[in-house]
Amino acid sequence: MTQLDHGKFSKMTTTFHTLLALDVFVLFFSGYSLMFNDELWWMVNLMGGAQGVSAVHRIAGGGLLALIVFWMLMMLTTDTGRGNFREILPSKGDFDAFIQDVQFLLGNADERHPNARQFAGGTADEIPLLTYIGKGVVFIFAIELTLLTISGILIWSKTGVMEIMATKTAAAAFVTFHGLLGVIMLMGVMFHIFEHGFHPALYPVEVKAFIPKSMIPEDHDDDTEGTGIELLELAPSWNMASTVVGAMTVIGIVSVLLGSLFDEGYPVPREIAIGGGPTDILLTVGINMGMFVLLLGLVLQMYGNLLRVRWQKQLEQEASEPTTAADGGHVESDD
Amino acid sequence: MSYREHLPETKGYPRTAIAINAVVALAVTALILWWAADFAVFYEELFRIQPVAEGANAGVGSDWTSGNQIAWLDFLIAITHAADVIMGVFILFMVFLHWGAFRRLAGRMRQPGDSDSSAVAADGGRVADDAADDDSAATDGGESR
Repeated sequence: MTQLDHGKFSKMTTTFHTLLALDVFVLFFSGYSLMFNDELWWMVNLMGGAQGVSAVHRIAGGGLLALIVFWMLMMLTTDTGRGNFREILPSKGDFDAFIQDVQFLLGNADERHPNARQFAGGTADEIPLLTYIGKGVVFIFAIELTLLTISGILIWSKTGVMEIMATKTAAAAFVTFHGLLGVIMLMGVMFHIFEHGFHPALYPVEVKAFIPKSMIPEDHDDDTEGTGIELLELAPSWNMASTVVGAMTVIGIVSVLLGSLFDEGYPVPREIAIGGGPTDILLTVGINMGMFVLLLGLVLQMYGNLLRVRWQKQLEQEASEPTTAADGGHVESDD
Repeated sequence: MSYREHLPETKGYPRTAIAINAVVALAVTALILWWAADFAVFYEELFRIQPVAEGANAGVGSDWTSGNQIAWLDFLIAITHAADVIMGVFILFMVFLHWGAFRRLAGRMRQPGDSDSSAVAADGGRVADDAADDDSAATDGGESR
């Protein structure tokens, strides 16, 4: 049994993913504790009040700007980057994979489509670099991050927007736009955490995002039919964990969606609405659950990196052992 | 780095490209933020009184009133709300879709501890028809029966 599906990403990509995730988590925690300050007042206090949160958000925003400029340059200036662009273009297979996933859920299909398979197992050679969800994530996050960065830069100094638009209200509108735009990404990241943390064969974290392909020995054992998932043993905690986190993900997504509809910032209301909406206990609990899912994602991604370090140490150790010599003699299991 | 001998040769990104692009990215970021910071004007130079609104709302603070009536800003916010709702519903659907698929896949795996449910793995089982759009998919969509 192995936790390691075939690694598919280069070291640059896995490192970038970790840095981007860390940065985006900080942006979420600082940004949405401002937008949902009725529900996340404790988070605002934790980061040193409104001024502290703004400072944290700007520092992380600067980091995001550097990261996406770097990524764009890498995609444009290197052969690997330009070559990989083809891999993320949507194809008919991706649409088929979506339809087949619905069929799989309904019991009308026996397997997930290769373009949907997160656990490749014995079929690793057939499956593309990214699943259809993976491609969607790349596209949606790329568009979102670009728009968020542009609107973020515009409101970096709000007086500038005020002067251009000749009204103070415009600054409020751009802040609102920036926050509402991020809600899609917020919901998407919650799904992303559930999708890659709670696949039964890969639970609790899909290590291919953290261990680069250069560190995964290739061992093609093609005599098994299908993915071979039936050979794996389900983790005892999976049932409970996936149910609890699945429920929290759903509640979190619904709550931030409702919260975003109520927490309006434009048009600026004539009267001060204390709380800015129905600040009831359910919404507070729900939004905090969503934040917990994000925190869980942060923890899981640190765990993924911990596994990478352990894996590297194990490889180094195995290589330095004299018993694993040229004859292939192993003294211990290599799973 | 002796352990690398046993690992595959993979096509990655050249180190020099990473280093150069990292430096360029930091420089571009510094320039953009320098521009964005300079974008600010001293707030006292901003309109203290700008009588752009007529009638009862004219005078101090009237720019708030007129700013509230910018149609394209209103439209921008409205369309973003709509995008949030559409994407939110879609993402929720994807959560349920994966939740259900995961439960079905989990049913095929060896159950923790014992393998008394090996029959479940072989037959593929059946899943409730309303699983796609129903919360209950989460709890009854599996095959651990």
